[in-house]
Amino acid sequence: MAMAVGGSRGGPRCDINMTPMIDILLVLLIIFMVITPLTPHGLEALAPEPPDKKNQPPPDQDRTVVIVIDKDKSMHINNEDTDMAKLGPRLEQIFKTRAERVVFVKGDPDLEYQTVAQAIDVAKGAQIDKVGLMTPKLEAGN
Amino acid sequence: MEKKRAAPPVADINVTPMVDVMLVLLIIFMVITPMLTKGQSVDKVKTKNPVTMQAADKEDAILISVTRNGSVFLSPGNLKLSGPDQLPERVRDLLTNRVDKTVYIVGDARARYSIVEDVVDNLRAAGVNEIGLITEEPHENKKPGAAQ
Repeated sequence: MAMAVGGSRGGPRCDINMTPMIDILLVLLIIFMVITPLTPHGLEALAPEPPDKKNQPPPDQDRTVVIVIDKDKSMHINNEDTDMAKLGPRLEQIFKTRAERVVFVKGDPDLEYQTVAQAIDVAKGAQIDKVGLMTPKLEAGN
Repeated sequence: MEKKRAAPPVADINVTPMVDVMLVLLIIFMVITPMLTKGQSVDKVKTKNPVTMQAADKEDAILISVTRNGSVFLSPGNLKLSGPDQLPERVRDLLTNRVDKTVYIVGDARARYSIVEDVVDNLRAAGVNEIGLITEEPHENKKPGAAQ
């Protein structure tokens, strides 16, 4: 057969083997395509307004929950000592019977931002709807 | 005299055009990817319970980046501000005629909290109530607070 005769003669192949290159290119292409549509994630927080001293009675102090984080990362819920691990279950326990799930977070200025963000994250994990950030100016009443 | 034979049919697919197209696509994606990160790029905090914030991805979303060394950047525009006290007037300008008055803070995990507090205070002065703290969702479930 003509084909068999032609094929048997062979000779060195002079074209580059493209397959490995195409493999790598495809993988790179897919990696870049997957990276592109990363949607941002985040935690919702509120910057509360200071209470209007003239018109509004101060909010019920007994029901306000404030998470205070100290310089040494120790935490308090109102006046009760806690830590990052116990914070979530304790918040769930406090808010089990409440409809309005609001906490305020107050962090020491010398802390790293991640400590406060993680505390907010834990609070969000405990199904807290609204997290208010307590800031120095807010406490001063401006 | 021997008859001149035609070359045997080539049984391989010609991959060259495909490689061309893929290389071009690859280069396009490589060029686009770094441009997509809005604001200053920072090491975001890894959190477990974030919600998706589609609005922060918009072209005109107001993002305030706080870097590790305490610099504050305002996007759109990626302007470096000399301090958070410049925020109120600029943010107020950006917020006029907007329905959604949420401002997003992209904080570096190791930024000092006092800078973030300052930013929040100044945002409040600009009439912002809702703040989105942009974080990162870790792929592996790390326990928050495990790092000492």
